[in-house]
Amino acid sequence: MKYIPVLLILFFTTAVLARDNIHQPAPAFTLAGIETPITLAQFKGKVVLLDFWASWCGPCRQSFPWMNAMQEKYQAHGLEILAINVDKERQLADEFLKKLPANFTIAFDPDGLVAAKYQLKAMPISFFIDRKGVIRQQHLGFHKNNVGSYEAGIRKLLRETTPREKP
Amino acid sequence: MQLMNPKNIRGALTIATCSLLGLNSAVADEENWEIDSAVLYYSETDRVTAIEPVINLKRNFDDEKALNLKLVFDLLTGASATGATPSDQVQTFTRPSGNGSYTTSSGETPLDDTFKDTRAALSAQWEQPLGRDYKTSVGSNVSKEYDYFSLGINGSLSRYFNQRNTTLTAGLSYANDTIEPEGDIPLELASMAINTGQARFEEEFNATRRGGDESKTTADLLLGVTQVIDRQTLMQLNYSFGQSDGYLTDPFKILSVVGNDGRAVDYVYESRPDSRTKHSLYWQTKHHFNQDIVDLSYRYMWDDWDITSHTFDLRYRWKLGHKHYLEPHFRYYMQSNADFYQRFLLDGQPLPEHASADYRLGELTGITLGLKYGMTLPNDHDLSLRLEYYQQSGEANANNAPGILSQQELFPDVDAVIVQFSYSF
Amino acid sequence: MTHKLLYIVLPTTLLIGGCANLGVQPWERDLLAKPEMQLIADPIEAALDDHIYFSKEASSGGRGFGGGGCGCN
Repeated sequence: MKYIPVLLILFFTTAVLARDNIHQPAPAFTLAGIETPITLAQFKGKVVLLDFWASWCGPCRQSFPWMNAMQEKYQAHGLEILAINVDKERQLADEFLKKLPANFTIAFDPDGLVAAKYQLKAMPISFFIDRKGVIRQQHLGFHKNNVGSYEAGIRKLLRETTPREKP
Repeated sequence: MQLMNPKNIRGALTIATCSLLGLNSAVADEENWEIDSAVLYYSETDRVTAIEPVINLKRNFDDEKALNLKLVFDLLTGASATGATPSDQVQTFTRPSGNGSYTTSSGETPLDDTFKDTRAALSAQWEQPLGRDYKTSVGSNVSKEYDYFSLGINGSLSRYFNQRNTTLTAGLSYANDTIEPEGDIPLELASMAINTGQARFEEEFNATRRGGDESKTTADLLLGVTQVIDRQTLMQLNYSFGQSDGYLTDPFKILSVVGNDGRAVDYVYESRPDSRTKHSLYWQTKHHFNQDIVDLSYRYMWDDWDITSHTFDLRYRWKLGHKHYLEPHFRYYMQSNADFYQRFLLDGQPLPEHASADYRLGELTGITLGLKYGMTLPNDHDLSLRLEYYQQSGEANANNAPGILSQQELFPDVDAVIVQFSYSF
Repeated sequence: MTHKLLYIVLPTTLLIGGCANLGVQPWERDLLAKPEMQLIADPIEAALDDHIYFSKEASSGGRGFGGGGCGCN
């Protein structure tokens, strides 16, 4: 009986430790891009699809064409796709991009520091960040069958406009 | 010229297979097909030679689902040891089919060369994830030789833990094999009828037979855990259980019944128990160095035929630049003999319930030394060539070999060369 | 025979329990994702070898499948 308080504390501690980053502000970062450094802050006010990818990740070969399509369709409405590469060797990422060019922003995180900040639970993974910089959705893996719901999620966040942006 | 393009070969195979399976697949989905082909050449000095072409087609579907189809042909020629002992005289044996005889010279290990055989095997395997935490695989296989038919099914389930660093797997398989040898199934431990021209030979031969066909069933269970140790190291530990029931005897193997002088007075057909229970523990580790990879494994097997074995396997993939590698291979195998293994029977002794002189159930050691070279071609296809040498040496465990037998080589080494060429696209 | 089984049960339970510490983060599986780092890197060669040794020796099988790899999706 006297162990109950201890157990409760332990339970809530682990529960707190195991929490998702949903509804948390997206951690800030600055990473090297293809030409210029990329910071998350530069996309404030936009809906950001933050994707983590690698040359060795099979499903990424399917997600790239889809992300290209989304960027093209929704950029004018405020969507920005930022795909962070976690390859340890830059050359492998470059070879991948040669075969699957991206029309969205690419950043490089070879030491996995930003990956660790975001506590990635899977690869690939994408975070949908709203215009206020809060993580609203996280999708583990890329499943072609779910692109409908991914797109619906993007549209929902795009419809949320900040008071300043109303015409 | 277009027809010789490997991409078109893959396209043609895709269309052919999809029509066969009734699937609707655009040829533009070439990226989703993986084709692996190989030819194996296996040749023992003075004994068996086998040529095995293989082709494996893998079709990847969305969401990590895949279908694997494999076709293997096995073309065997040559001669195999029957289990009879050598002698200082010429020996005459009746062929397993009853049609004709063959002789063995003095000092030679009796080999039966009636065997030219072709086997075809087809297997299909489907794998897919079940949610985020599970993966399942189911499959079936069938194989046919002119006197042998095998049909089997298998299934397995894997569960991930610790962010996919730990994987638990359980697998089951079941197979039913039927053998229908030419000359029918011999009567266990019956004396071989020898044709010296007698009119009643056919009758005598038929008296040594007990039926047209026989079958056996094999059930296997595998429980395994795979663990990622660190970024460079992977380990696996498996326990396997196997149960075989039915006709486990080899209808082509015999034993010599020898007199005090060591010469055969009779030949009898072998007899094995009608059930066998096997257990094995298997451990494997792979480690990625800077460029190279080492692959080390050990298997311990024990069964209720009193056989225990150790298998130690080591491979080292030495990366030569970006597109080539060289992989030396060493395998060491050791087994103890089955409790019913006897190199020969002594005339005058009562016949045991089970007996076999098949050297593959004897106490033996096998060493394999090999080298494999692989490369990736500019068109991203892979090819490899491996050359291996396998030597088996054993102990007849016949300290009581009477008469002339003590002068004979009762367990000669078997040497084989293995060559395999593979091409993947 | 039962004590031989303990040799697998005990390490396995230790592995699952104690192995919460072993392993890598999902973004560090670059080497494990390589085809040559799979437990059976060449399934055709493994099957051909299995067939040779099954025909020439009294033991067979034992190898498994599953685990390792990129862990994607």
